[in-house]
Amino acid sequence: MTDATTEVRVTAASDIEVDRDALDTSIKEFAAANGEYYVESFHKIHDATTAIPGTFNLWAAVLGPLWAASRAIWGMFWTFLILEVIAWVQIGRGAWGNPGAEIGERAERQLARAEQLRQRAADATEQADIERFTKLAENIQKAADSSLEQAAAAQAEASSIMLTGLALLLVFKLVQGLYANQIYERQYSRWRVDPEKTESGRKNQNTVLGAILTAAIGPLIVYKFTVASSLPLLDAFPETSVSEIILGEGGGTLFSSIANWLEARIDRAAAAGGDVFDGIVNGVRAVLDALTVALNGSPWPVVMLVIVVTAWRAAGPRVAIFTAASLAYIALLGYWAVAMETVALVGAAVILCVVFGIPLGIWFGKSRRAYNIAEPVLDLMQTLPAFVYLIPIIAFFGTGNPPGILATIIFGMPPVIRLTALGMRGVPGSIKEAAVAFGASRWQLLKDVEIPLALPSIMTGVNQTILMCLSMVVIISLIGGGGLGKEILEALQYAAKGPGLLGGFAILFVAMVLDRIIQGAFRREDEKI
Amino acid sequence: MSEAVVKLTDVWKIFGEGAEEAMSAVKSEGIGKPEVLARFQCVVGVQSASFEVPKGEIFCIMGLSGSGKSTLVRHVNRLIEPTAGTIEILGKDVSSISDNELRRIRAQQIGMVFQHMALMPHRSVRDNVAYPLEIRKISKSKRWAVSDHALGLVDLTGYEDRLPKELSGGMQQRVGIARALASDPEILLMDEPFSALDPLIRLQLQDQFKALVAQLQKTTLFITHDLDEAIRIGHRIAIMKDGLIVQIGTPEDIVMNPADDYVREFVQGISKLKLVKAHSIMEPLERYQKPLDGAPRADHGADLDQLIDIAVRTDHPVVITDGGTDVGIVTKPTLLRGIQGGKDD
Repeated sequence: MTDATTEVRVTAASDIEVDRDALDTSIKEFAAANGEYYVESFHKIHDATTAIPGTFNLWAAVLGPLWAASRAIWGMFWTFLILEVIAWVQIGRGAWGNPGAEIGERAERQLARAEQLRQRAADATEQADIERFTKLAENIQKAADSSLEQAAAAQAEASSIMLTGLALLLVFKLVQGLYANQIYERQYSRWRVDPEKTESGRKNQNTVLGAILTAAIGPLIVYKFTVASSLPLLDAFPETSVSEIILGEGGGTLFSSIANWLEARIDRAAAAGGDVFDGIVNGVRAVLDALTVALNGSPWPVVMLVIVVTAWRAAGPRVAIFTAASLAYIALLGYWAVAMETVALVGAAVILCVVFGIPLGIWFGKSRRAYNIAEPVLDLMQTLPAFVYLIPIIAFFGTGNPPGILATIIFGMPPVIRLTALGMRGVPGSIKEAAVAFGASRWQLLKDVEIPLALPSIMTGVNQTILMCLSMVVIISLIGGGGLGKEILEALQYAAKGPGLLGGFAILFVAMVLDRIIQGAFRREDEKI
Repeated sequence: MSEAVVKLTDVWKIFGEGAEEAMSAVKSEGIGKPEVLARFQCVVGVQSASFEVPKGEIFCIMGLSGSGKSTLVRHVNRLIEPTAGTIEILGKDVSSISDNELRRIRAQQIGMVFQHMALMPHRSVRDNVAYPLEIRKISKSKRWAVSDHALGLVDLTGYEDRLPKELSGGMQQRVGIARALASDPEILLMDEPFSALDPLIRLQLQDQFKALVAQLQKTTLFITHDLDEAIRIGHRIAIMKDGLIVQIGTPEDIVMNPADDYVREFVQGISKLKLVKAHSIMEPLERYQKPLDGAPRADHGADLDQLIDIAVRTDHPVVITDGGTDVGIVTKPTLLRGIQGGKDD
């Protein structure tokens, strides 16, 4: 709209001069110490058109990782510290290590034995004995000779090992000298973008840190790998000695005392909260019993018919046929009752996950703070291997099916919580605002807008939860859970291949049938929106 | 002017943690927007907005993105709480009412249309339109009847059972308008309703909307960033800049007498043909010395477009009349300058 008054002068790309002053100031500010040198070498790198840099940083080559540390290029520091230590180990092995030591010792033992046998041959009176011992002595002498040869060869190899080490070291130094400035230039580019978080200049603290790390790591490694008999202190962590220092003589190890203390604690807590834990177990058992009655109490033809018809309605005829075939497999092999017990176990776990998970998810979706607190707990629930929390579950809830369901819930609940929260946060603000503008109360907003719009995400969460719960079927049999998992566990204990495989397929079919039916049902649900 | 349906008095909105302190500092020391940001880390959304909208008027609020126009209009139904000032709807101060009463006012007296339609994707068109009634727990049969009627008003009969995603953008926005009309509210809040639509559809909807509001006598606050749209639709226009209302006036006022350079820049590109009336460019009869025999006559309310039609058919200047008496004269140079936007010779 306004007249363009600012005149823009256009210059052809080939005529544009490189303005070095601003760049030079910036490079000097970055490099601090020895700025002029880096200005010059960065210019060479900037002007270079090939991959081979035209600069050689003598200090980087000579000092190696120490230079990288002083310039805070930690990636380069660690890489070349490790590489140089490897080279030094080779040099050490060649210079003062004894590569043939073991073989040499063996040769000496063999020589002694041969001498011993010869002695016995000389001492023997009977001709047969003399021949036998002489023969043996000859054989061992031959073995000793070959061992000596091998030892000599290994010794001869030592000098070539040392030369290899020296060559490696030289190559590493050259590479560092050649590429140091290029790597440093990259750091400079990063520093230009983010000067707060990228270190610049040469700092004494970095140099000292680099020197300490090098001094601590280099000599110990070289010592350990080049001297044949190293110190026992370096071979294994001296935890028993440390325990003795802390607990005094005869106080046992740290491990045993902490374990004992924990055990007493857990026992006391389990006793103190016994009623609460019993209550939880009874609640879980009530849900499980209801499902067991429905699945195992009802006549089997009814249950089968209901499952097949559900599969048909939810996922179509193909899944229904697959379901019927799977059920036939399970029933014909005599797994019907245990399979239904498994379904009841998984079902109870899923019901409890959904009943508690969706309200929690809604809460976490609405309150950022609550979610921030809950997130590490959810992460823990999913990453902790199930075997770890089986023990506290046994301590507090005992063994059997209900504690198994509790373990399943720990593993299975996070997805439904997470995806419900995600769905709630994904509801467009404009639609929520519209509902509020038309007078919706908080409850109406939740019921009419947020939950319906979050529903696809919530359903994905439920689906994930079901699959996670299924994957716990075998694990919970370790703490007395029944069903197909128990069959597998027994087969595993006796290495019974046939029963194990048949049971495994039964579990697979249960899982596939459940998954197909649920996926089908959700797909139809999704198509509506 | 009849009694105001919507009345805002000295409304301020300051966003941020220390809004209260910032507000008192503004009141006592009169500091400006940059100082508030520097001292309190607070953003001033609306500065001292005052206006009244009488019944049946379309009041346009025009401004660029970030000028605070959407913030301002959300104060009317208190989607945003004011930091200071009073808001009256139908003579009632809404800043002190209970939550229940507020929800009742939102549901019955204020309809709102949003830039991005904000329809519920899982509900049919009919159920979307009926939602304000559903909130008030009105029976389903009544809801459906009202909703079908509202959809009839926006020419969407026959689409009741579709889902919003099956409709085009323009149709979706008509559903949005029907939803706002469904509870027969006194006030309509239109938050850039046509901005996301393509130009032809926008023109159609503007005309349709103007006719509908005239027929239903709804008091409307219409937000737009497009001055053409504001001029087309609005009875009066408020121009906002950085949270401040810089000018309120009829479209003609704004175009002919911009309050400052900011407004002037805006109105430069606007066509004056339909906007500028004869009485605002005419000169006194005495200035014209020659005889006026055979000169055509035009009413003082005729716009430039009509004056051009008359002027091209004669060599004489056009005499302007008011109730039969000659009140002024428009010569060809005057007319041409008028089209340019009132430049002096």
